[in-house]
Amino acid sequence: MAQPIGASEARDHIEMVDRILAESHQRLCAGGEYFVVWGAGAALVTITFELIHGGRIPAAAVWMVPVVLALCALFSILRARSTRRVLARSSLVQREFFNVLWLTVGLAFVVNVAAFRLFPGIASAAIWSVAEAIVLLYIGMHGNRRAQLAGVVVVASLVAANFAPAGIAGYVLAAGMLAGYGGFGLSELLARG
Amino acid sequence: MDELLLSKIRLGVVAELLTYDWIAFSELARALDASNGNLGAHLAKLVEAGYVDEEKSFVNRRPLTRYRLTRRGREAFAAHVTQLQSLLQTAK
Repeated sequence: MAQPIGASEARDHIEMVDRILAESHQRLCAGGEYFVVWGAGAALVTITFELIHGGRIPAAAVWMVPVVLALCALFSILRARSTRRVLARSSLVQREFFNVLWLTVGLAFVVNVAAFRLFPGIASAAIWSVAEAIVLLYIGMHGNRRAQLAGVVVVASLVAANFAPAGIAGYVLAAGMLAGYGGFGLSELLARG
Repeated sequence: MDELLLSKIRLGVVAELLTYDWIAFSELARALDASNGNLGAHLAKLVEAGYVDEEKSFVNRRPLTRYRLTRRGREAFAAHVTQLQSLLQTAK
């Protein structure tokens, strides 16, 4: 059966496809504001728990925690909706990244809320640090050096918190969240600017 | 071979959409260096064939039309490119 196009035309088409695929930048736009908000929010929650545990603030302050987390979640949802509406293109890698982000943060949230007996006190903060490290190192895997560095900072804070004296571990974890997660977000915002 | 994808511009559209979740019309026109009228006509055929999904909305009172490759379009593209490659192999 005769082919509808010749070999030279087929080669031309294949070359065009190759060129388009080679030029499609699978850039991962992390959205710095999410990291600043969640880094600061998670650090604030961890510090609050540590202050309550040390008897420096009343136990009633624990009600601040769900409020802070709910505000962070609300910001993320509204921001994601408004950003998605105005973007001219969105890559599959970008969609995958947001899936990983929501899944990881969502699981950490569930662990903190529904499994607080298994992960009491500082353990719940450590779960947040692990979740944040996974997200940062995932971005790092896509070639973002700042995210790699920030992920290492969060992991280092976990290890340091493990060996820190009692009553200090929470602050160490909070510092890791703020410097690693929040710091990465800030660097992304500055780079975008 | 897929007759729809024998057109170079339609094949280009599908290749552009392949690695993206979705792309706006203006971005496609820029990437393919095509006029709005020409690209619109080709996109309409791809939408009609079920290869591409179209989504119309307004952002800041300005219309925004975005396109996404469907599973059917992805499969048609893969099969078409395979046939193009086998044609080249045969010609060698």
